[in-house]
Amino acid sequence: MSKVNRGRGVLIALFLAPSLLVFTIYRIIPIVWNVVLSFQRWKLIGIPRFVGFSNYLALSQDPVFWESFRNTLYYFFGGTPIAIGAAVVLSLLVNKPLKGRNIYRALIFLPYPITPVAIAIIWKWLYDEKVGLINYVLRSLGLLRESIGFLSSFTWALPSVIFTTIWQSLGYYVILLLAGLQTIPDELYEAAEIDGATGMRKFQWITLPLLKPSLFLCFIVGIMNSFTTFDVIYVMTNGGPGNATEILVTYIYKKAFTFNEIGPAAAMTLILFLFLLVVTMVSNKISGGEAGGVHYYE
Amino acid sequence: MRKNTKWVGFIVLLLVGIALGWGGGAKETTGPKSITLLTWNLPHYADTINQWIKEYQEANKGVTVNWVDKKGTELPTYFQTQLAAGSPPDVVNLQGALWYQYAADGILLDLTPYFQKEPQVKNRFEKNILEAASNFGGKYYMVPFYTPSTVLFYNKILFKEAGITEPPKTMDELVTYAKKLTKGTVSGLITLNFDWLYWPLFRANGVEILTPDRKKAAFNTPAAVQTLKTLAELTASGVISKVSWTGRWAEPNGEFGAGNAGMLHAHITALRAFQSQSKWANDQTIGVAPFPGKWSVPNYHGLGIASKTKHPDVAWGFVRMITSDKWAANTATVLGTLSGNVNADNSIINDPNFAKTHPVVAETFKVALSVAGNLTGMTRSAKDAQIKEAVYTNFQKALLGQIPADQALAEAEKAVNRILAAQ
Repeated sequence: MSKVNRGRGVLIALFLAPSLLVFTIYRIIPIVWNVVLSFQRWKLIGIPRFVGFSNYLALSQDPVFWESFRNTLYYFFGGTPIAIGAAVVLSLLVNKPLKGRNIYRALIFLPYPITPVAIAIIWKWLYDEKVGLINYVLRSLGLLRESIGFLSSFTWALPSVIFTTIWQSLGYYVILLLAGLQTIPDELYEAAEIDGATGMRKFQWITLPLLKPSLFLCFIVGIMNSFTTFDVIYVMTNGGPGNATEILVTYIYKKAFTFNEIGPAAAMTLILFLFLLVVTMVSNKISGGEAGGVHYYE
Repeated sequence: MRKNTKWVGFIVLLLVGIALGWGGGAKETTGPKSITLLTWNLPHYADTINQWIKEYQEANKGVTVNWVDKKGTELPTYFQTQLAAGSPPDVVNLQGALWYQYAADGILLDLTPYFQKEPQVKNRFEKNILEAASNFGGKYYMVPFYTPSTVLFYNKILFKEAGITEPPKTMDELVTYAKKLTKGTVSGLITLNFDWLYWPLFRANGVEILTPDRKKAAFNTPAAVQTLKTLAELTASGVISKVSWTGRWAEPNGEFGAGNAGMLHAHITALRAFQSQSKWANDQTIGVAPFPGKWSVPNYHGLGIASKTKHPDVAWGFVRMITSDKWAANTATVLGTLSGNVNADNSIINDPNFAKTHPVVAETFKVALSVAGNLTGMTRSAKDAQIKEAVYTNFQKALLGQIPADQALAEAEKAVNRILAAQ
């Protein structure tokens, strides 16, 4: 390596050092510590005791763990595809030269920056069985004879929470997709039009393929959100009724801070981490290894 | 050689330093002393808490008391993270049965030697309350701070409209009255459900949570199946408000406060909660009585001392002062609940002026004291939180019509036995 390159390398390392230090302290060390804890029995005091795989074994026999795992998958598959689908439609609409499209864009994005706790409280009241606006409107329109206990029903609780998160995350997906749409050159559409392509054909053969990196980015963000959402469920249902809305993250919290079972909570966290890692890697592979990549066409 | 000796000396000094600092645990240290008090959702009690601190600091020169308050939902998380960081608050205010697991895990200091050394402090408290609030496995870990327990509140206006002249005394009367009170959006009964607060409904029918040796579940009995079935039917027909099984604190109290229920089974601190948001609730319209069967669930608040405190004696002194007759009377008056301190509580109950100005609060004190010997909903197990969750989530399924009562009880029993069998 030449002297100049070495100097440049040192400079880059120096610039990166503060970020890497923060990343190591707040990400790498906790992950390593979590791995260690998952093989231990520790009650927040005293010396942790090595227990091998017994935390993992206990989890495999815990029906609530499996229920929360299933709910997490349901939460993802029930929410993310719908949210991304709706975001594609909306982003196509607000990408057109509509009058006042910036207002529409702002309205769509508006829920995203609102803190999830506030959103959860708002929707909890909207869903309320006795005084909730949704039941009131549905009853007033004659669509319902009796109110639905959206958050107290075993059938409706999880879909209701999913709908809330779709409402919140939609704007973010729209922004990601709009960014992708705006990188597609108009010439491609013009050429397709000359060849006689219809709107649907253009969407199928130009928009969708070129939007693939943005769609996969949305997909990965969706996975991350589904597997790490905590506040909305904690405030709206706290995992109930029964364990109907218990997802892995809320169960990890309960295990650690309600049951004081740090080892099993760490084991669950590691399982979740590995699962996310695998899903993300597979998704990236499917997307051609460029999830989130943006192409610029000269 | 000389250099090596210096190094050895340095390492020895370092090790001694670490040993002194590390092995400290609950051993009093010298020099200026600073302790921290962690309270559970008491920002409205700030004036009094600051007075405690002032009084204690004046009486104990060189001592500093810091105060941190956390909401109920945040306190356990905060306490545990502080604990994990090795700097727990010295004095901690804990609610319900949370302290069982802390006591079992060695997180709380055993206060038995202090009680033995100062029996006058132990004798301050009503015996049943002290045992329920403090005793775990024959040792004392908590000092009663304020001690709400469940009673039955009722809406006298709705009672009158339904032609009911007095509160129910038996479970049959409870059901009959609840049915009579149910009309339109008004339910007959609401109960709080967290921390086993609903358990008198089962205990009144002879159902226990665990076997006496606390090794197995004891609740899967024909009486429990029948009780759960009845409660589910009453919930389905609207006699018991669904919010009893889906809400926690704000929702049930809000519904009763709004005049949408005839009776509320709750601990006595609920009085303030529903009264503050009610148009109908006043001294003439709120009734309070023991729950049928006279069973009551304690939801006591106690003060514990972290076993890792560097100043156990200072912390104990502070706890002793807070729970003294003078300050306990203040706590009971301001927080509207019994303190557990016999002299303090009696001074309030027997004060004609208090009965005149706060008739309902005075009545709740009398009712709560009358049932203090009939406490239920206490597993006295270090795994209480897990047992509670396993039982309630399964019961909830039956109560909301998801699964039959016998299936819910069987599943809950299986889950509880698995929890108890686990190491």
